[in-house]
Amino acid sequence: MKYRALFLLACATTACGTTPDDRPATFEFVTLAVLAPACGTVACHSTTTNVSGYAFDTLPAARLALRRLVTTGNPDGSRLIDVIKRNKMPPDAPMFDDDVALLSTWIRNGAQGL
Amino acid sequence: MKTLLAITAFVALVASVRSADAYPQYQLSRDQTCTSCHLSPAGGGLLDENGLAVAEATSARTGSAAFLHGALEPPSWLVLGGDARLAAGAVGNGKLGGAAYPMQAELHASAGAAGFTVELTGGLRRPADGASALHVAWSREHYAMWRQHPESPYGAYVRIGRFMPVFGLRLAEHAIYTERYGGLPLYGEAYGAAVEYIAAGFELHATGFVHDSIGAAVEHGDGAALYAEVRPVAHAALGVEAKYSASAEQHTTYAGVTGKLYLPGGDVLLEAEAELIHQQIVAGGTTNQLAGYLLASRPLADGWLLDVGVGHYTQDTSVAGLYRDCLDANLHWFTTSHLELLATTRLELLDRGSGPTGGYALLQLHYRL
Repeated sequence: MKYRALFLLACATTACGTTPDDRPATFEFVTLAVLAPACGTVACHSTTTNVSGYAFDTLPAARLALRRLVTTGNPDGSRLIDVIKRNKMPPDAPMFDDDVALLSTWIRNGAQGL
Repeated sequence: MKTLLAITAFVALVASVRSADAYPQYQLSRDQTCTSCHLSPAGGGLLDENGLAVAEATSARTGSAAFLHGALEPPSWLVLGGDARLAAGAVGNGKLGGAAYPMQAELHASAGAAGFTVELTGGLRRPADGASALHVAWSREHYAMWRQHPESPYGAYVRIGRFMPVFGLRLAEHAIYTERYGGLPLYGEAYGAAVEYIAAGFELHATGFVHDSIGAAVEHGDGAALYAEVRPVAHAALGVEAKYSASAEQHTTYAGVTGKLYLPGGDVLLEAEAELIHQQIVAGGTTNQLAGYLLASRPLADGWLLDVGVGHYTQDTSVAGLYRDCLDANLHWFTTSHLELLATTRLELLDRGSGPTGGYALLQLHYRL
């Protein structure tokens, strides 16, 4: 446990993740670990402001939003992926390629949870 | 048009501040604690007499710093204030967009006597799309407070109501990574109770909170926040922070350290914060995140103040390259004790610049009532 904490501290200074991306491609994970911090901040797509009718900061709200933005099984045909890849969203802070890939995997696998 | 509106809303988030009068840059140099200038033990909001004097002393032009420039003097049991902000500028993530918008329109009131007060911050905000226009009016903070020594910045404080739990450095620009990702987001107020003690050499804040299930809330969990800071010498401070928030969807733990060092020779204040964030998603999956920020502030002549900051945020330590860094520069000009112009800029790099870049450049106008 002590060494794990030291490793995390080392990551803070070197910003190094070493393992392949084995994060779970589930509705809950992509919502709370990817979409909520990138898109669900308060003045944007949050339940507080619900800009354009989309919110990603809670699972029920994200479910409603993603049903309108995702074409199950087809990431390239999903509006969610399209607006991210065309740099329309998020407007000031680009999304990581690994996050786009994780979202695409979730959609390709059937967008479980919607 | 929809894109422009979305960008406008996003920039409003990026640019807006938690509380318009919070200038932690003056700690350790002009005054030791937030309560040296503010009524709230958290800092921000209404200024006390010393805060008004500091506001006047640090401005380019003199004049009454009092409410409405002294034109209206409230009774002794009532303190009034307010803040209005506008912003305009450019924001980009590879594509540039522009926007101009209102950021803040709030009134503050503190009423009471003999150490017992009721504090209220209310005003206008953007209502949720599709919601009633009535939602444009809201109260961000409303709480009852007991203060042990009303005439002194030091002593015990007890607060009950809706407010922002005290946690970390609490820098004003909430786009700073340790604020935005580190458990202190804009509009992160919750209902709670806090016991706080502030002395010349240390301060301690403990808050228990539950999320606001009545009004719209950014904090969806219930939990507790702790912040302790010691000032072993006049020009340095060290702090520890912790917060735990649990909802039906996720449990999040934040732990970190803060440091402040004032360098009298250069009149520079350094403030630093580092946090480890553990997110446990109830349905499965965890993330370990890292957020850090270092800010250097230097007052210049004639009401100018320069901030330069660097930030780091690792979104998930298990994945290589999932981090972003930023370089911030803010130039404040306090033309009078009521009027501030602020140019705020950010350059944001993903994966040390090997990924895409983003950022913003905004000019803000702030009027304190």
